[in-house]
Amino acid sequence: MNAQPQTDALDIRILDALQQEIPLVAQPWEDLAGRLGVPESVLLERLERLHCAGIIRGISPVIESRPLGLTAATLVALPVPGERIREVAGVISGYPEVSHNFRRDHHYSLWFTLSAKDAGSLHAVLEEIIKRTGFSDTDILNLPTIRKIKIDVRFPLAGRRTGGIDGTA
Amino acid sequence: MEPPDLQVLAALEDGLPLVHDPYGEIGRRLGMSGDEVLQRVQKLRDAGIIRRFRARINQRLLGITANALVAWHCKGQAAEQAGTILSAFPSITHCYERMPVQGRWDYTLYTVHHGFSREEVQEEVRMIAEMAGLHDYVVLFSIDEFKRVPNVRIRENGGGIG
Repeated sequence: MNAQPQTDALDIRILDALQQEIPLVAQPWEDLAGRLGVPESVLLERLERLHCAGIIRGISPVIESRPLGLTAATLVALPVPGERIREVAGVISGYPEVSHNFRRDHHYSLWFTLSAKDAGSLHAVLEEIIKRTGFSDTDILNLPTIRKIKIDVRFPLAGRRTGGIDGTA
Repeated sequence: MEPPDLQVLAALEDGLPLVHDPYGEIGRRLGMSGDEVLQRVQKLRDAGIIRRFRARINQRLLGITANALVAWHCKGQAAEQAGTILSAFPSITHCYERMPVQGRWDYTLYTVHHGFSREEVQEEVRMIAEMAGLHDYVVLFSIDEFKRVPNVRIRENGGGIG
């Protein structure tokens, strides 16, 4: 992994802070810069750079699915042979109902998440995907969500090894 | 939710602008004041429609390239208790309970793990399995990431509305 963009100790502190919570105040960058002990202009310049480098993917609210009408969700696995992975993955990723689509190291090689407004719509989309990709109900694993127990996607970085860039350089 | 709330959430999908007065900037685009934009965000946060407001990062560019989905088998009523134990580990980013495929795939709990190498993740999963007393599990390492986006996207899928 030598294609990693360079990051320094301040970048790491910024990334850790950004993954916590953006303060809900009129001037959040000024507030955050104050807590990090740097001028706001320096923080904004760093944020631009980290964003352009692709390290920051987006700074936006996490929206609950239920109040917005998405009540049914599932995780599906398909046993896709290696030579068909890209083709099948391409079809699946094209659906707006699909949010995650990963190839994994297993006989069930393609794993994707699907959400829709109700169980009926979810079933209809899944049936269409299965038909279009040439699988049958008995080939696949359909693992509907019973309960979200935890979703907390953050990667604490300070003090961790980051592929040769440990934030102390 | 009112239509202007959806407008604000849609505008924020592009990210909070990197300027001194980001809500004023969004307000100018939407034809409302910066104060109104911020108040709507605060209201949505209080109502729990906004769960968190934070940056999403591409951890792969920072060397965190290993990702595993782990499927756990828990017998009988144990899923609830095991879910509580697993979700307490800070390194687990997702924990879900799911319906199994009877007789073919009996795993009911799913966790997601990240690390700098497969070995690191493997070791962590082994330790967690030991502490949780769960010994029947499958570790599914990712090889390729074809799609990874938030599941609610106001502009693309209307968040399920309509």
